[in-house]
Amino acid sequence: MAERLTPRTDEADRSTAAGREEPQIDWSAIEQEAEFQELVRARRSFVIPGTIFFLSWYMGFIVLTALAPDFMGERVYEGLTVGYVLALTQFLMVLVLGIMYLRKSAKEFDPLAEKAIARYVEEHPDDVPGRPGSRFDTPSGDTTTEPEAVR
Amino acid sequence: MTVLAEVNVTAVVVFAIVLAVTLAVTYWASKKMTGAATFYAAGRQITGSQNGLAISGDYLSAASFLGIAGLIYLFGFDGFLYSIGFLVAFLTVMFLLAERMRNAGKYTIADVLSFRLRERPARVAAATGTLSVAAFYLIAQMVGAGVLIQALVGIDFTLSVIITGTFMLCYVVFGGMIATTWVQIIKAVLLMTGIVVMSIFVFAKTSFNPIELFNQAEKNVGKESTFSLAPGTFLKSDIDTISLGLALVLGTAGLPHILMRFFTVPNAKAARSSVVWAMFIIGFFYLLTTVIGFGARAILGPEGEEAAGTGGNLAAPNLALELGGGEGTFGGDLFLAVIAGVAFATILAVVAGLVLSSSAAVAHDIWSSVVRKGRDSEREEVWVAKIAAITIGVIAMVIAIVGGSGLNVSFMVGLAFAIAASANFPALLLALTWPRFNTTGAVCGVAAGVGSALLLIIISPIVWTGPPGEPGTGAFSWYSLNNPGIISIPLGFLGCIVGTLMSTERATERTFHELFVRSETGLGAEKALTGH
Repeated sequence: MAERLTPRTDEADRSTAAGREEPQIDWSAIEQEAEFQELVRARRSFVIPGTIFFLSWYMGFIVLTALAPDFMGERVYEGLTVGYVLALTQFLMVLVLGIMYLRKSAKEFDPLAEKAIARYVEEHPDDVPGRPGSRFDTPSGDTTTEPEAVR
Repeated sequence: MTVLAEVNVTAVVVFAIVLAVTLAVTYWASKKMTGAATFYAAGRQITGSQNGLAISGDYLSAASFLGIAGLIYLFGFDGFLYSIGFLVAFLTVMFLLAERMRNAGKYTIADVLSFRLRERPARVAAATGTLSVAAFYLIAQMVGAGVLIQALVGIDFTLSVIITGTFMLCYVVFGGMIATTWVQIIKAVLLMTGIVVMSIFVFAKTSFNPIELFNQAEKNVGKESTFSLAPGTFLKSDIDTISLGLALVLGTAGLPHILMRFFTVPNAKAARSSVVWAMFIIGFFYLLTTVIGFGARAILGPEGEEAAGTGGNLAAPNLALELGGGEGTFGGDLFLAVIAGVAFATILAVVAGLVLSSSAAVAHDIWSSVVRKGRDSEREEVWVAKIAAITIGVIAMVIAIVGGSGLNVSFMVGLAFAIAASANFPALLLALTWPRFNTTGAVCGVAAGVGSALLLIIISPIVWTGPPGEPGTGAFSWYSLNNPGIISIPLGFLGCIVGTLMSTERATERTFHELFVRSETGLGAEKALTGH
């Protein structure tokens, strides 16, 4: 392991840092690709509503606990209260959103990220894998599965 | 039903087993230490499921295990609120930070900030946030360790703190992140096994019917008891409850020792699977805190309240003693000793993670980048990290011993979460998502977050009154919040925004594109070491 810990102090330093190991990547070019835009759009259209939903459901529960303790203490069935039922829905929410996010990522986001990188590699053959020091050691970059990584 | 004051030999044996196994792991890990990437990030070779377990081990402190079970035993529903907050917080991490941290960072939170911002001020700001959170959390855990070990095993408070601190430093100094990770994994397995076995025993006493458990718990309320299935017994002020809820759900996303774990996996995909693994393991754990808390209520009843101690911390061990056959029986003693051992492992894993993340902030951010301006060697940085870990560990031990068991643990944990949510989280989130965000914004945001959280806690009723839990007065009659989150979190964000808009620095908008593409695609992300 010969990784040097080169920090980036400013723009000038950054180019020397890049020179040591990383290929010069035209980040703005990737950002403007249709594939990248689609990746960002797809991810945002899941993550933003997801975040708004879970924060509202959770804070709604907290606010009800704070402001309506009597309602939360009402019985649904014997010793089971409204508060506990709502608390259990939080666990369910975590389970469902977790599974949904994993699935969405595997089916949608990961392939899009791979495509975005593949497109860039295609258009910038200088940065192609195999070049010494290049970070692309798989054609599709780091987002591809490294088999033992997931399990 | 009181836990014996003299030394519990069975528990000492269990502790010795825990220590022997973790030391063996540390020895094995020390052979694999090659440099900074192994010391801080275990060579980025931890798999998603392993990291999920390790995150659980890093996150579930003794406060989660004994603290929440005790609160549920004493107060019922209000105690369970903590479980919900600590769990849902992982959705914040999953949606907003886990993969992006992995893609854009190297060893510390500051790496992500300094990517686009002027390095030195950004690193100082991030390190300030990291060290404040870690310091308060670490001291709280050390005091908790001393109190618990003294109560459970009969080993003196000072000696307990010294043992905990010494072993914590062994793991970190000799085995770095590799040893820390495996100590956390072992702890997570022990803790989950412990709570599942205890839950099965509890269910066996309530004919495996959860509703029956609720009914029996409710029947066992004495005249003096505060237990209720409805809210409002522990968290009495409505704004305070909301403030706490907010700090819990956003605080986790600013805990340096948790975020650091995402640097230990090979790529963003593994970071994602690890956060989901962790979320499910932690969710299952928190679900069972109800069973332990209600089980203690149903089985120990109001008679056990005094023996459960302040905050009910000893309710779970006392329940284990009772489930195993009661005081003086072999089964009871063994069950108590095993649960005490699990609690001990729990503390060790959390403090190791904390001390490692603070040593990274000192060595990687302050020493290497600010003091030595990047001219130090990797070898030197790792040495500095080890010295920093020992220094921080010893300071925490000394404060814990000098402050003694009287130090208010809940105040320090609350403060750690409030600072994490008010300082670290806003700066990180905005650095990753807001193109205009700049150095002044980060510095102002962290200053506003740390400053306001600290100030508001200092004037709060927690500090200005006697025992925790009692309605206090606070330093001022117009301020009575125990948790500052509802004020300090918006102030942290406001600091970031106002600071950004006041500054003319525009270079950060250019570098935003790079950070944005990197964090979304993983292009150019730090690679895992190969080999071994």
